[in-house]
Amino acid sequence: MNSLTEQQLDSISMIVRFGATDASRALSSWLGREVRVSLDRLQQVSLEKATELMGAVDSEVCACCMQVSGGVNGRLLLGFDDTSGWMLCDALLPRETKSSEWGELEVSAAMETTNIVGCAFLNALSQIFPRSESIQGSAESTSWIPSPPVFVRDYAASIMQFALVDQACAFDQVFVAQTEFSIDGTPVGWRLLLVPDAESLDRLSRSLP
Amino acid sequence: MSQIKQANEILVTMAGIGVAQHQGILRTLLGSCIGIALFERKLKLVGLAHIVMPDSMGRCQPAGKYADTAIPETIRRMTELAGGLRLSLSAKIAGGANMFAHVSPNATNTIGEQNVAAVEKVLATLDIPILGRHLGGTAGRRMVVEVESGAVQIHVIGQPVVPL
Repeated sequence: MNSLTEQQLDSISMIVRFGATDASRALSSWLGREVRVSLDRLQQVSLEKATELMGAVDSEVCACCMQVSGGVNGRLLLGFDDTSGWMLCDALLPRETKSSEWGELEVSAAMETTNIVGCAFLNALSQIFPRSESIQGSAESTSWIPSPPVFVRDYAASIMQFALVDQACAFDQVFVAQTEFSIDGTPVGWRLLLVPDAESLDRLSRSLP
Repeated sequence: MSQIKQANEILVTMAGIGVAQHQGILRTLLGSCIGIALFERKLKLVGLAHIVMPDSMGRCQPAGKYADTAIPETIRRMTELAGGLRLSLSAKIAGGANMFAHVSPNATNTIGEQNVAAVEKVLATLDIPILGRHLGGTAGRRMVVEVESGAVQIHVIGQPVVPL
């Protein structure tokens, strides 16, 4: 199968919005500013279109990636361009000079932020998914366990290939949940992408009404 | 599918195939996927496929997605462009990276390796020699093919351009 119904997409949207609310709360606390994480869209798109979700295909972008296992298996990416990433670092690292390169401190700040927003997001999802039809088959085995994040700076399309490959092995269309961020009401160029693998997506489609 | 033309440049996207003759640029962006460029030097004819998976397992669409279907389809399109002439082909391949090796050391690496093995097997079956390889590692690549000269460049962020 490779297609979720409108009703299923609505159900998933509701769940992801719940996760985004918790991620907003965690990130606001982490940055000490009002951060809003909101669901931009749930998409089922061709591989061709999906590779553009992180930006123009050969634009150079950064991403912190976590492998997710448990209730749903897949990949969670926080992606951003240099400017947006350094803005995050400047908000976290109290120093006189602004960030202008990806040194150890900047990378650590980005990864820790991914850890916080990703875990908050996944924790919220894990609270809801088992109640919505128990996709795992057992309400007890529903923890969503993220791996430690890994930072890369590379071509946008290359990063997206990594994110998509587990779905691409089974499907020609891929499903991606994409969120946007704002700080103190100003949009920032970060994107959180949740990409379930093929098996999880199939389970989702069978378990949601 | 998957050909985005800008002037005389063709961007070959994921699971796509592009062919060109006499002049122009073909390029593709690679992570764990494999870019395979096929050359017919006398005719100045080039095909570039962006392979995602090693084996179609009987599926035939999109042809550019799988090693066992992408290569024959690329040759078919090149032959068509050459007016049905018999082609004498050579190949250069790139890609197969495991960019987040610490996150998923097994899955992505396996797919990259399987892609490489599948491409090499199909090329061997078709008796097409591989004249250049730029494979593996942990970084993405931009593969750029100049049609007239047959020159291939591999771009990796932060590293010198590698002629292939």
